[in-house]
Amino acid sequence: MSKELIRLSDCVVKFDDEIILDHLNLYINDKEFLTLLGPSGCGKTTTLRIIGGFQKPTSGDVFFDGRRCNDVPPHKRQVNTVFQKYALFTHMNIFENVAFGLRIAKTPEAEIARRVEEALELVNLPGYGKRRVSSLSGGQQQRVAIARAIVNRPQVLLLDEPLGALDLKLRKDMQVELKRIQREVGITFIYVTHDQEEALTMSDTVVVMDKGNIQQIGAPEDIYNEPKNAFVADFIGESNIIDGTMPEDKVVKMYGRKFPCLDGGFAPGEPVDVVIRPEDIDIVSPEEGQITGTVTEVTFKGMHYDIIVDFQGFKWLIQTTDYSPEGARIGVKIDPDGFHVMHKSAYSGKFGDYSSYSDEYDELNVDAEAGLEGDDEEN
Amino acid sequence: MKKNSAFGRFFTFLVFLFLYAPIILLIIFSFNQNNSNVVWGGFSLHWYRELFQNRIIMRSLYTTLLVSLLATVISTIAGTFAAIGFYGLRRRARNALTTVNNIPMMNADIVTGVAMCLFFVAFFALWKDFALWFNSVQTLLVLPTRLTLGFPTLLIAHITFDIPYVLLSVSPKLRQLDKNLIDAAQDLGCTWFQAFYKVILPEIKPGIVSGALTAFTMSIDDFIISYFTAGSSSSTLAMTIYGMTKKRVSPEINAISTILFVTVILLLAVINIREARLEKMAQRRQAAPSATVAEMAGQKPHRTPFLAKAAAAVACAAVLVTAVVGAFQNTRQPVVNVCSWGEYIDEELITQFEEETGILVNYQTAESNEALYSLLKSGAGDYDVIVPSDYMISQLIEEDMLEKLDYSSIPNFSLIDDRFKNLPYDPTNEYTVPYTWGTVGIIYNTAMVTEPPASWSVMFDDQYAGNVLMFRNSRDAMATALLYLGYSLNTTDEAELRQAAGLIADAKSRGVYQAFVMDEILQKMEGGNAAIGAYYAGDYLSMAENNPDLAFVVPQEGSNWFVDAMCVLKDAPHYEEAMAWINFIASTEANLRNMDFIWYASPNKEALEQYPAYYEALYEEELDQETYETMAAPAEVLERCESYVSLPTETRRLYNELWIGLGIQ
Repeated sequence: MSKELIRLSDCVVKFDDEIILDHLNLYINDKEFLTLLGPSGCGKTTTLRIIGGFQKPTSGDVFFDGRRCNDVPPHKRQVNTVFQKYALFTHMNIFENVAFGLRIAKTPEAEIARRVEEALELVNLPGYGKRRVSSLSGGQQQRVAIARAIVNRPQVLLLDEPLGALDLKLRKDMQVELKRIQREVGITFIYVTHDQEEALTMSDTVVVMDKGNIQQIGAPEDIYNEPKNAFVADFIGESNIIDGTMPEDKVVKMYGRKFPCLDGGFAPGEPVDVVIRPEDIDIVSPEEGQITGTVTEVTFKGMHYDIIVDFQGFKWLIQTTDYSPEGARIGVKIDPDGFHVMHKSAYSGKFGDYSSYSDEYDELNVDAEAGLEGDDEEN
Repeated sequence: MKKNSAFGRFFTFLVFLFLYAPIILLIIFSFNQNNSNVVWGGFSLHWYRELFQNRIIMRSLYTTLLVSLLATVISTIAGTFAAIGFYGLRRRARNALTTVNNIPMMNADIVTGVAMCLFFVAFFALWKDFALWFNSVQTLLVLPTRLTLGFPTLLIAHITFDIPYVLLSVSPKLRQLDKNLIDAAQDLGCTWFQAFYKVILPEIKPGIVSGALTAFTMSIDDFIISYFTAGSSSSTLAMTIYGMTKKRVSPEINAISTILFVTVILLLAVINIREARLEKMAQRRQAAPSATVAEMAGQKPHRTPFLAKAAAAVACAAVLVTAVVGAFQNTRQPVVNVCSWGEYIDEELITQFEEETGILVNYQTAESNEALYSLLKSGAGDYDVIVPSDYMISQLIEEDMLEKLDYSSIPNFSLIDDRFKNLPYDPTNEYTVPYTWGTVGIIYNTAMVTEPPASWSVMFDDQYAGNVLMFRNSRDAMATALLYLGYSLNTTDEAELRQAAGLIADAKSRGVYQAFVMDEILQKMEGGNAAIGAYYAGDYLSMAENNPDLAFVVPQEGSNWFVDAMCVLKDAPHYEEAMAWINFIASTEANLRNMDFIWYASPNKEALEQYPAYYEALYEEELDQETYETMAAPAEVLERCESYVSLPTETRRLYNELWIGLGIQ
C-alpha cells in the first residue's frame, strides 16, 4: 500500500492504575480506511483520542509523518474529528459551523464561501447553510459534522462511532456514503466502532481490539475467514468454537473423529480451537452426516433459520434455509474449507458455545449499554 | 359551560385585582398634590420633582445601582467559572457541591444577614489585633486598625448571595452541552481559550444572561442582608424606603416605586418582544433554506460589526470605571455618619452642610431610643453622631458609651437657651448639644370624640375602646399610666410601677387599644382610623397639616417634656466632622429651618424667638399662636411637665419585665 502516515509505538495509557492501552503498536498508511473495532472499553476510543491529541499516552510515542507529535496540541494537528454526538455549535447556523475551522485559520471570505458550499455538496446538503442546527435531523447533523471536518482538508479524518446514534436504515445508507466520501477526498479515515458489520463493510484494514490490546490486524476478509483467536472469531460474525487436536496437517480431530481440513503447520497432536461458521454447515440426514445431533431450538430470521443443535452436550449454531423441527435428529456435513483451526489462546473456552443461546444475546446487549456509559465516564 | 367560563373570568379578574390594586393605588397617590396617602388633594408631579431633589433617595439609588451592578458583574464571572469547575467534577462531588450551593438560596435571608454581620464584626476584631501587631513590628506600612461595615462589606455580601443564582442558571446549560464541544473546537484549530471564548461561552450565554439578570434583580430587591451588612455609611434604596416608611409612606416613595415598576415593566416588554422577534426570524430562516452561497457570505449572519462591539465594550468599561472611581472618591471624602429619627430633619440642611464643608453625611434613622440602644450594643451601629432622648443619654453616659464634646469647635452652643443647658441627663454639659425639645400629649380627632379630653383617663376608659393608640415603647407607655395614677414618671417604687402596668394590661384586655404604635400613628390619625392617641407635639403638628380635625392637649395631670440632644459615640471615627455637623445644626438658621420642617421646638434661643417672624416671611401669613404654643410649650404648661431621668438598673429591669408581661412585640 501507500506510505506510512501515523505510527503508535509502545503506547500505554493508564487511568488511576487501570490500564486502558497496553503497549500498543500500530501504524496507519496514507489514504487508508482503517477501522478500530472492539467491544466497549477495549481502548479504541482512547487510541483515536491519542491520534487526535486529546489524550496523551502515559508512555510511548506517537509519530505523524515520521515526526514525534506526543506534545502537539489538537489545534496544531492536521487531523480533524467527527464526534459521536456530532458536537455541532448550536449558536451558529450550518454555514458558520462548517466555516468555523476556516475562520480560525483566517481564510479569505470568498474562499470560505466556496469551500463551505463544496463541503456541503459533498455531504449532500447543498444550500442548507442558513438553517439552524436544531432544524436538522440526526443524519443531517452528522453530515454537517463530517462537512465541518472535511472542509479543513485534513490529512486524516478521525470518526468516533459517528453512526452510533442513527437508526439502522440510516446507518446503512451512511456507511455507503462515508465510503464514497473517503474515495472522493482521498484521505486517511480512522474509524472507531463496535459494530463488526460496519467495520467489514467500509474498511480497508480492520484492527480488532480487546482489553487494550490489538487482537488482529487485517483486511476484512482475512479477519473473517482467518480469525487469530476465539475472541476475534466470536466478535466478528457468529462462530462455533470447538476443542480439538491436530493429529497431522490437514486433519483436525474433535468428538473423537477426524475431519479433513485445509489448515496445517501445527505440532502433531497440538490442542487447538476449531472454528466452524454457522453458514458453512450443511444439514443432511443422520445417516449421511459426519456427526449427528438433536435440534433444540429454532428461530426464524427471515433469510434463514438459526437452529441450535446439541452435539454431545456442546451446542452449535447453524444457519440454514432448510427447516428442521425442534427435537429432530439431524446429521451435519462440513467441507474441508469450512474448518478454521487456531492455536489455543487466553480466550479459548470463553466463546463459541451456544448452550445458552438466547441469554448470550441479552448479555451482549447489556454489555453494549454498560459499555456506552463507561465510555462517557472515560471522556 | 358558559356559566363556568363566566365564573372563571370573574375569578381571573379577582386574582388580577388583588395582584395589582395595591400597585395601582400606589401609582395614583404618587401623583397626589398633598402628602397624604389617604386624602386625595389633586393631580401634581410635585413628588417626582421632590424625588429627584431628595439627596438621600438619590444617593441610596446610586448605592443600590452600584452595588447591584458590581455584584452582578463579579458574581456572574465567578459563578460562571464555578459552574464550569463543577461541571468538570465527578458526578458525586458535583451533586454534593450543588446541594451546598443551593442551601444559601433556601436559607432565610435573616440568618444569612445576621451570620454575615457577625462574620464581618468578628473579622474586624481579628484584623484589629493583627493590624496593631503589624504596625508595632514595622513602620513602612501603617495598616488601618479600625474597619467598619460599609460599602465593601455590602458588596461582598451581595456577591455572596448572588453567586448561587448564577450557578443555578449556568449549570444546566453546561450539562446540556455536548461533552465533545471543546474537543471539537480545538480539533478545528482553536486553542483552549479560543474554544472557551468562541464556543462554550456563546453556547451557555443564555444561562449566563439569565443568571446575571436574576443576580441583578436579587441585589436590587434585597433588604434584609443589606440591612445587616451595609453599616452606617451606606444604605440601599430598599433600606432608605424602609427608613422613610417608619413615619408614613411618603408620596416620594410612591413616586420612586412607580418609576421602578414602570422600568421593570418596560424591561420585561423589551425582553419579550426581542424573544418573539428572534423566534419569528428563526422560523423564517427554516422556511427558506435555499439561500445562495453569495448571500451567506455577503450577509455574515450572527456577526456584530466590530465597531459596535468595541463601542459597547468601551461604554461598559466606562460605566464601571466611573462607578468604581466614584465609589473610591466617596470613601476618600471626609464623612460623618449620623443616626437620627424618621423625618427629623430638613434634608436640605444636609445638602447645604455638604456643600459648605465638603463633608459627606451618611444619614440613617432608628425607630426608637430602645432600638437605637440595642443596635449600638450589637456593635453594628458605628455612627458618629446620634440624637437620643434625655433619659437614654444619661444611660449611655453611665455606660461610658459617649465621647465628650470639644465645645471650642462648637461656637454655636452659646446660642442654646440656658434652660436647656446642664439638664439632669448631662449635669455638667460635657456630652450633649440639644437638638429639639417638646411635650407629649393626647392627640384626638374632634370629629370622633364627644368632648375634648383633658385627662389621661381617656387612654384607659372604655369610652373610646378600639379607637385608642398607645405608645409602643415602655418608657412612654408607662408614663401615661403613672401620670394618670398621679405618680412621678420617674418613680422607682415597684408597687407604683406594677400598678401602672396593671392599668395598661387591664385596658388592653378590655380592648381599649386599637394598636401599640410609634410613627405609624401619623398615618392612622391622619386617615381618621383612630380617635385618640398619645404622641409628641411636633408630630401632632405634622398630622394636623393633613387632617384639620385633629387637636392636641397636654392633660391636666401633667406630662413628659423631653429633650433630644446630639451626642458623639465613644471612639467615633470622624470626630472632627462630627463637631462640624453639630455646630452647623446648632446654628440659628438650621434651627429655624428644622423647626419649620419638623414642627419640633428649637432649643436655640434666637431661633425660638424668631420663628413666628420667619414663618410669616416664608408663608406670608401669621403663625397661629396656638400652633406655636403647641410646638414650644409655654411656661405654665411646662410647669405641669416633668422630664425623664435615667432609671436605676433594677428599675429598668422591672420595666423590661413588665413590658414583656404586657405581651407587646
